[in-house]
Amino acid sequence: MAHKTRIGIFSFAHLHADSYASALVSSGEIEFVGIADPNVDRGQAKAQQFGTTYFPTTESLLEKQLDGAIICSENALHRSLVEASAHAGVKAIICEKPIATSREDAESMIACCAAHSAYLGIAFPCRFSPVFTQLRSLVQQNGLGDILAIRGTNRGRNPGGWFNDKALAGGGAVIDHTVHVADLNRLLLGKEATEVYAEIGNGFYKGDFDDTGFLTITYDDGVFATLDTSWSRPQTFPTWGDVTLQIVGTTGVVDVDLCAQAMTHYDDKNKAILSSGWGSNFDALMIAEFLRVVQGQPSQILATGEDGLRALDVALAAYKSAEVGQPVKVGG
Amino acid sequence: MGHTVALIGGGGIGRVHARHWQALPDVEVVAILDPRGHEARVAGDPPHFSDWDTMLGQTKPDIIDICTPTSLHREYIERAAASGKATFCEKPLARTLADCDAIVDVVRRSGIPFMVGHVVRFFPEFAAAKRLVDAGGIGSPVAVRVARMGGMPGQGRPENWYGSYAGSGGVILDLMLHDFDWLRWCFGDVQRVFAKGLYQQLEFEGQLDYALVTLRFKSGVVGHLTGSWAHPSGLKTSFEIAGDGGMIDQDSTRTTTLNVGRRNNIEEGDLPKVVIPRNPLAPLDDPYYQELGSFLEAIRNGTPSPVTVEDGREAVRIALAALESIETGKVVTL
Repeated sequence: MAHKTRIGIFSFAHLHADSYASALVSSGEIEFVGIADPNVDRGQAKAQQFGTTYFPTTESLLEKQLDGAIICSENALHRSLVEASAHAGVKAIICEKPIATSREDAESMIACCAAHSAYLGIAFPCRFSPVFTQLRSLVQQNGLGDILAIRGTNRGRNPGGWFNDKALAGGGAVIDHTVHVADLNRLLLGKEATEVYAEIGNGFYKGDFDDTGFLTITYDDGVFATLDTSWSRPQTFPTWGDVTLQIVGTTGVVDVDLCAQAMTHYDDKNKAILSSGWGSNFDALMIAEFLRVVQGQPSQILATGEDGLRALDVALAAYKSAEVGQPVKVGG
Repeated sequence: MGHTVALIGGGGIGRVHARHWQALPDVEVVAILDPRGHEARVAGDPPHFSDWDTMLGQTKPDIIDICTPTSLHREYIERAAASGKATFCEKPLARTLADCDAIVDVVRRSGIPFMVGHVVRFFPEFAAAKRLVDAGGIGSPVAVRVARMGGMPGQGRPENWYGSYAGSGGVILDLMLHDFDWLRWCFGDVQRVFAKGLYQQLEFEGQLDYALVTLRFKSGVVGHLTGSWAHPSGLKTSFEIAGDGGMIDQDSTRTTTLNVGRRNNIEEGDLPKVVIPRNPLAPLDDPYYQELGSFLEAIRNGTPSPVTVEDGREAVRIALAALESIETGKVVTL
């Protein structure tokens, strides 16, 4: 009998690691080998929370013959962890978004995984939203005619910590929040972004990182989109943020809010009004597909390294545009 | 002292104005000038005229209210100014900046009381948002979004000037203009404009229009506008103002206060079968009543116009910059 699929998580720097670890634990079919994290306190606490082993170094966990690796480090460290995993013979890797902080790093990760026949996936869980799946099939069935424009938002609260450190994050709100919707748009349209214009600012926190990003993205054959990536949700906002799309086609329009399946929770004890989601768990759906890929099945919708690079290109173009004050070409 | 009004154009907005002029104390609509003659019936049923001089000579109105298609605004403002009449003109002030400049010039030289119909400033939710922001309720404003979405107006009419890019300037100049003015009122002058839209795509002309516009204000505030004549049902508006100390958001789909559903098989009285969701306000709080009333007050007190001819020109300038950005693909700096 084949051994249980062996999975490790590298770093809990990114807050999504908790959600992926929960999905791993509840899937029940795998062996959660351990957590490697240079932050000892965090790594040990998480290992205890999820009933697994703590490893102080990347190498010590990679020695354990993993089948799959989940990378949730700071953005700038993705490359070294992905490439170390590929070198160690891990068959499938899923890396938190954005794929990297530079095109050079992203291309190197893709090439390294290809050279070692390792599958490189990127964590774009919105692809797995049943709301988005429904939208995509509506578009594919020509329910809106030809798509002319998309207005997107992926706004949030400022996550703080290393997200505000340009060296580790590669930027601020723009690199953090461009890639999800850039990826969804590309999937819906089947077209590549060709040009980006961006107004970027730091008015909310006045730090040396950007917290405001209003992007305009043009696609092959003139479809246009805007995307608000700002960390504009106040501290009292009832949830982390949003992902919305308004799509205008020749025969119809649709408004989509991926996170609207939520109830309002008036919490006297904590003097807070909260939005309590009850929709399907995109992260769990994504991890389930990742585990199938680890087990050798073809991927269906899981984003690849190439998808991650295309989304990163839009964010990088946005920074360049804000620098020169005009729209710029995407990629290259 | 009472005031008399001559209405130029008895279309959709002209009818709304007539109703509110009639409701204002000591005001009477005494003439309507409209080539459609008696088809253009308005509140008060004033006498119809087809000739300006005859109308002016017979009715001697105190106020000229111009509710014509945009292309005729300049001509009637010039006529009204030549006669020294207080003049109210619907937005947009004009279709071109050259016409705006000519209008600004003639209004200044004549010294007539003059107001542009940027009615959104008088909509209670938009007015309340400005008051809240001015009071520091969200700290310093940073990022602002506003959306105005409905169907193409005037569809099904033999000649639809709204649907013509040349006639109305499309959704940007006719609809989003409201929000350009409101944003400028709240956040000051605009530094640069970038826009994408369907403008000048002839296959959509008269059918649908849609635009997404990004503004950078001189204050540093970033703004995003959605303008749609592509939405099939009813007008929807929303805005959000995020600052460094909080945020307000407003969405008309959430604040519709009277949602009535009537089963089709029950027919009573004269109620329409399709019931439109409504937002009732006290008559004195109606935005059009407020708008026209504020002009009347400025005339009576000799105080400055609540929305000046320069305000009207600036809103058009932002809209034209957005159209230029769509045509050139570049940022337009004002």
